Amino acid sequence: MPLELLLVLVVGGIAGITLMMHLAGKSRVRTLTPESARSEWLRHVPDDDIIDVTVAHDGHSALIRTPAGNGLVWSFGADTVARHLLDFDWMDHPDGLEVFFHEFGTPKVLVRLDEFERQHWQHLLEPA
Amino acid sequence: MTDQVTFPDAVQWAIPFFIAAILAEFIWIAVKGKGGRYETRDSVTSLIMGAGNIASDLMVGFLIWAGFMWLWQITPLNLGTSIPVIILCFVLDDLRYYWVHRFGHRIRWVWASHVNHHSSQHYNLTTALRQTWTYSFTFMMVVRSPLILLGFHPAMVLFCGGVNLVYQFWIHTEAIKKMPRWFEAVMNTPSHHRAHHGRNARYLDCNYAGTFIIWDKLFGTFVPEQEDDKVDYGLVHNIGTFNPLRVAFHEWVGIWRDATQPGLTVRQRLAYCFAPPGYSHDGSRDNSEQIKAKHIARHPEDRGSPGFEQFETDMPNSQAKRV
Repeated sequence: MPLELLLVLVVGGIAGITLMMHLAGKSRVRTLTPESARSEWLRHVPDDDIIDVTVAHDGHSALIRTPAGNGLVWSFGADTVARHLLDFDWMDHPDGLEVFFHEFGTPKVLVRLDEFERQHWQHLLEPA
Repeated sequence: MTDQVTFPDAVQWAIPFFIAAILAEFIWIAVKGKGGRYETRDSVTSLIMGAGNIASDLMVGFLIWAGFMWLWQITPLNLGTSIPVIILCFVLDDLRYYWVHRFGHRIRWVWASHVNHHSSQHYNLTTALRQTWTYSFTFMMVVRSPLILLGFHPAMVLFCGGVNLVYQFWIHTEAIKKMPRWFEAVMNTPSHHRAHHGRNARYLDCNYAGTFIIWDKLFGTFVPEQEDDKVDYGLVHNIGTFNPLRVAFHEWVGIWRDATQPGLTVRQRLAYCFAPPGYSHDGSRDNSEQIKAKHIARHPEDRGSPGFEQFETDMPNSQAKRV
């Protein structure tokens, strides 16, 4: 196949499919409730027991307390990703907290919090 | 042997079909309200991975071609290019695919290349195009060498491999539940391949087939999709990025970090590179056998069922024991 035609097909195909999906509303981000955050955590980490769940007000992140320590589950497109908060750093961000995982495939996540939530989450992340 | 033989690049010529089929599946799901899910960024990542795969093939393909032509020159055998020989080549190349794919799940060095194909939590036709950029790093192309030395022309071998990949495109769908029974018995199908993409304990390390599912049945890796265990797509530890560069290289970076940490023996460093995914020197991670054993401990009723045949069926409901 001529390279020019290959390029047109690949670039045009990606652009067209992307536009179609976005216009069809497929870019919406998953919203979590306490129940769905709990079930999503157990989907990712089936061995865990959950003590309690704290969902951020925007519904895109939830802090999970387990006997093994805290964990974070967050919206990832239409799905979720979860990590135990074992090897991580966090920094204040104008919109909340930014959590950095030392992982190339899961570098960081922005947890959007209001001022009241920010203090509560900081307390939960660093109870000492 | 230096005769001129040419075959088309099946994957490149199938691109218009890929685009049309994705549109058709998307519309089908929208109209029917079932049969799969699409998400914009997930699909864009998959499509860019597919484009990158074609680009990487264009960049290193000539090196692989040169190696194959060298083998072709030293072999005294030439089976020609008749239709029966092409069919035989396709079947044997599919057997080659089965083993390379199995290595891709059982050897971390090869998994580092293949993992990106499993990194989506979705299962639709764009997932089929979420292909590796780093296959040449694995050196798995050498597994094709026996075919060339047996007298199959390199162009034919690559053509058959391309047709195999094109075949596998359509099975990445939830829109087709089951094919006719005879077809399910012999061919790889959407149902069989959905199980392969599952992160459920039951479905780990099963259904490596490309075109013919018979290889899994022959080598004991076949697990049928179960009505009562819906496939949960993705990785055991799902990644949190849509960035194609991170998708393509995250496991390679993981190998580097694991194998270069201080205080390990040479054996442990090699195990981080070549042992099955999930190996850790301190037992802090689980491989697929350990994940299955933990599942059986939580769900003893699954003991002996498909995907858990290696666990005894008559154990008291305490600790799972491997046969």
